[in-house]
Amino acid sequence: MMDELELLKKDWQKREVNLPRLSYEQIYQMIWKKSSSLVRWIFYISIIEFLLPHLLYLLPSFREGLSYDFARKLGINSWLIALTVVQYAVAFFFIFQFYRRYREISVLDNAQQLIKRIFRTRRTVKHYVIFCLVMILTVFLVFIVGMALDENLVTTLNLDAQSKDVDPAQLKWMMIGVMAGAGIVFTALMGGIYFLLYGLLTRKLMHNYKELKRIEA
Amino acid sequence: MNKELEHQFVTELEQNQNIVHKVCSLYTNNRDAHNDLFQEITIQLWKAYPKFRGDSKFSTWMYRVALNTAITLYRKSKRKPATQDYDSVIYKISAEEYDPTQEQQLKLMYSAVKQLGDIDKALVFLYLENKNYAEIAETLGITEVNARVKMNRIKTKLRTILNP
Repeated sequence: MMDELELLKKDWQKREVNLPRLSYEQIYQMIWKKSSSLVRWIFYISIIEFLLPHLLYLLPSFREGLSYDFARKLGINSWLIALTVVQYAVAFFFIFQFYRRYREISVLDNAQQLIKRIFRTRRTVKHYVIFCLVMILTVFLVFIVGMALDENLVTTLNLDAQSKDVDPAQLKWMMIGVMAGAGIVFTALMGGIYFLLYGLLTRKLMHNYKELKRIEA
Repeated sequence: MNKELEHQFVTELEQNQNIVHKVCSLYTNNRDAHNDLFQEITIQLWKAYPKFRGDSKFSTWMYRVALNTAITLYRKSKRKPATQDYDSVIYKISAEEYDPTQEQQLKLMYSAVKQLGDIDKALVFLYLENKNYAEIAETLGITEVNARVKMNRIKTKLRTILNP
């Protein structure tokens, strides 16, 4: 085998004559093209992930659901404001952290170091997404607690007219149930989309990283 | 100044483009993908070029960037036909030294190498390019001893592929 690989080596070096050849102009054109590298993809997707929770407020139904009017009636307005402040503070921290790590990625590192840095950058976004999912659940929870503590929920929400024949207590628990269900489904959906994207994007990277780790083991 | 940098870079890359073509031929299976990867490596080289101080040879520096791009940064292009029309380039033979048995053996070796994983391919590539184990280890971020051990394992793996 040793000899065979040596044979291959000799042949390999002879094969240069058969390789394609690009002209100065062709190469010059290329340096102005946009990179489609994984790191760039991760950058774009991370930006979307940072923006997504904020973009949700643009949906009319979501905005109404979280409207301060509804929240004021339930008496949880100050809780929601506090949560928003925390959310923005943490988001800025994560964006700063993400940017710092993104800048550290260098194609001049050795392969293992490069993959490690990409994973670290990606992990920052992952933690942010987990934080967002927890926040979404918390907002739903605040609403649920607010609704549960409200003695006259049906009256608060002006639903008296529409629900004459239904027992108010039963209606209240039904609404809380719907809210809880929506919270779980929504969080699971957001989380599912995110982790699927994350997995697909880093599958090859993960594979090669494990391979390098195996060599070191 | 910038124009000069561009000119310097393109000239150096034009002279050393074989290295990039060889990486592309190992990591892709058709001409479109080859060109795609070549372009991505060129972009990465150009982006990193201002940091290239000339303390190593341009070609040495290229190996690392080209392999990093192939192993880590490159995302396979969507328009990938299933056929392997590309093999013709690395398997092409020069008529004067045609030796049927040897040729057959080489052909098998090349296709065996192409079946290896990304990391194994990088090791074989650097080995074929006459790099020593210290350089191979440096490029991949592993120790020299482990690079040697891994290379021996790859040889065994190739042997199994060749003689099933």
